[in-house]
Amino acid sequence: MMSSPILRTANGIIFPLTLLFAFYMALKGHNFPGGGFIGGLIAAVALMLFRMSHGRDAMTRLMPIHPRVIVAAGLAIATLTGLFPMIYGPFFSVEQEAMPMLRSFAPYVNLGVGEPVHMPSALFFDLGVLLVVIGVSVGMIVRLGEEIAPDEEEVAQA
Amino acid sequence: MTDHRIILLCVIPLVASLVSIALINRRAWSRLVGVLSFTMMLGLAFSLVLKITDAPEEQSVLVSQMGGWTAPFGISIIFDSLSGLLICAAAAVGLGAYIHSFSILDPRTERRYYHPLMQMLMFGVNLSFMTGDLFNLFVAFEIMLMASYALLVIGTSLKQLRQAYKYILLNVLASTIFLMGAGMVYGMFGTLNIADLARIIAEIEADPTRQLPAGFNALAVMFLLVFGLKGAFFPLWFWLPDTYYTIPISIAGLFGGLLTKVGVYTVARLFPLIFSSNGDMMTNSAGQWVGGTSSVIMIILAVAAAFTMFLAVLGAVSQHNVRKILAVHVISQVGYMVFGIAVMSGHALAGCAFYMVQHMVVKCALFLCCGVMEKHAGTDDLDSLGGLLKRDWPLAVLFFIAAMSLVGLPPLSGFFGKMVIIREGFAEDLWILGVIGLVTGALTLLSMLKIWSYGYWNPDKAPTVSQPQAVKSSCRSAYAGIVMLVGFALFLGFGAEAVYKVANRAGEQLENPKTYITAVLGEGAYEQVDVLIAARTVEPEEQVAESIAAPQVSTEETGPEDEQAASELPQDLAKRLIVENPPYTVSIPLGKHGSIIAEQAVSTQGALWPMPWITQTDTGWEVIEE
Repeated sequence: MMSSPILRTANGIIFPLTLLFAFYMALKGHNFPGGGFIGGLIAAVALMLFRMSHGRDAMTRLMPIHPRVIVAAGLAIATLTGLFPMIYGPFFSVEQEAMPMLRSFAPYVNLGVGEPVHMPSALFFDLGVLLVVIGVSVGMIVRLGEEIAPDEEEVAQA
Repeated sequence: MTDHRIILLCVIPLVASLVSIALINRRAWSRLVGVLSFTMMLGLAFSLVLKITDAPEEQSVLVSQMGGWTAPFGISIIFDSLSGLLICAAAAVGLGAYIHSFSILDPRTERRYYHPLMQMLMFGVNLSFMTGDLFNLFVAFEIMLMASYALLVIGTSLKQLRQAYKYILLNVLASTIFLMGAGMVYGMFGTLNIADLARIIAEIEADPTRQLPAGFNALAVMFLLVFGLKGAFFPLWFWLPDTYYTIPISIAGLFGGLLTKVGVYTVARLFPLIFSSNGDMMTNSAGQWVGGTSSVIMIILAVAAAFTMFLAVLGAVSQHNVRKILAVHVISQVGYMVFGIAVMSGHALAGCAFYMVQHMVVKCALFLCCGVMEKHAGTDDLDSLGGLLKRDWPLAVLFFIAAMSLVGLPPLSGFFGKMVIIREGFAEDLWILGVIGLVTGALTLLSMLKIWSYGYWNPDKAPTVSQPQAVKSSCRSAYAGIVMLVGFALFLGFGAEAVYKVANRAGEQLENPKTYITAVLGEGAYEQVDVLIAARTVEPEEQVAESIAAPQVSTEETGPEDEQAASELPQDLAKRLIVENPPYTVSIPLGKHGSIIAEQAVSTQGALWPMPWITQTDTGWEVIEE
């Protein structure tokens, strides 16, 4: 894979901005177009660009864990968010009533600074989706990169 | 009745797959997690089935609305007798095949995400048995198919890749058509919820002034094409034999038992409820009201059943490899199930449900036996097999019981399924199908005896790859899996009465959708249909036209009368909601059921969902301009 200094320098600005945008999209998704999946895809684009500009080793340094762990963690977070009301409802809630899976709570959490923040439990579900999408796409990028690696060395030698 | 535990049937395999990803390099732990997950699914499904079997009718369908969103809008998970039976059988088959695979799969293959993939497959299968709307059915199919693609190429031999390519291509095509069909359903009826669809169709049938939308039959054929491809019906079964020939035998057993049955299940669920309708009201012999059935769909189903049964069994007789015989037999047996659906009476559907369960168990057991036969002889070619009766008589006994169950010898399980389906066929003027069913049964016996006599009775001429004793000691878990499944098959045969109690209930629920619709959509959802039928039987025409409540949005030109109507809105909400949005006035007729949903949506959101441009103010209703 070819990598030019221009791309590398530009990516210094593009990469953090794209990640920020991905995060923004993921948060915005509760009421507007966006959400964990979209955010994850945008973050994946950022990571793909990073892999193209900096090469495989930098990618491994940036994300030292195996992508399958990220996927599993994301799925686990989403599943636990879904299961939470089923345990909370009958045992811990005031009404002691059974609640279906994936029931959403939307409390305003006081962070101590400024206005209380609207923090729906769907946020954690979206976080899980975000992690799954990032994990899957990083996994694919890494796998595709493995095929390309020998060519890269040739280019470096030439 | 609401019971939130049913979703655990999907959560258990999901969690198990996550745990086994974490334990990917520890074989014993992964296996333990898998076995635990299958056992928990089986236990939970079995206890739920016991619970709903003895329950009165209004408690016989368990429903859980995900996230608490009411039925036509949210995701409904539904557990009724048919789902319950099939989930029990799926968990049993999964457990058997899973235990069997411990002694068949190469340890390197097992590490390639075999354990998580099995759990994900079960997740998809359970979800498709329980889902209450078409789009989630699509999602569940995709989950199941993704896992099955990966399992097809697990171990990656060249042959496997070639067949998997065909399988993936066909299934992607089918999924695309499915999605298009779901879009068309939404366009025609404005809902994807199966119960809501069934309600709308029932109202149209009961109402002489309304007709089904044009192209409804085409839609039904589209869905039949999709599910026919997944379920391997007559012209669409060509992918199956070659695919099952190449994969590791335990996985072939699981696929042969489970995957086609998911396609058949969706046909059994959707067609009696929705797609076989022709929009006319009809009563059955007992005087109960049932929907009219479309002759086109009936003919397609009947022809598909006849050809699937007969041609596939001919194919099985002509094959000379154990795996291929068994794989082609999967198709032939699917024909009996389609036969049951084509007759479409309650008893025939009950027979179909029973037959699906017994076929899943028996077919998987046969595939698993074939796995051990291959271990003995090194091949599944009948010419070089032989003498297995002497070498390994327990295997011979297990194989014989399973084979005779498949053929349908009287005390064994296949008999009860075939008997009910064929009897119903004769009773409902489909005697040709009945005769074909009987001939197919005889040919099934022939092909099973072929395996028996070549493999077990013939003198031992196999190039002995491994000593019998060595095979027996290396296949302990394989025997355990087979014994378990054959035990289940015997239970289905000797305990057929108990199983038929559940199956009959499933048949009744499929034939008469009232219980299902009421359970999903809430009390009163079916009242409109009852009112229409009552009005029609007492006095026709005018009475009926008064009480129509069509759930559709109509757009009209503005007129002076409409402004007046708009000001009277809140009082008139129960019947008709008219909202002015120059230059148009949107007039939304609301049925009793529709108004409940509108009020709920208004109280939670402050706006009438799914029309967010309409909001409630202190004085009445207001249209937000874009």
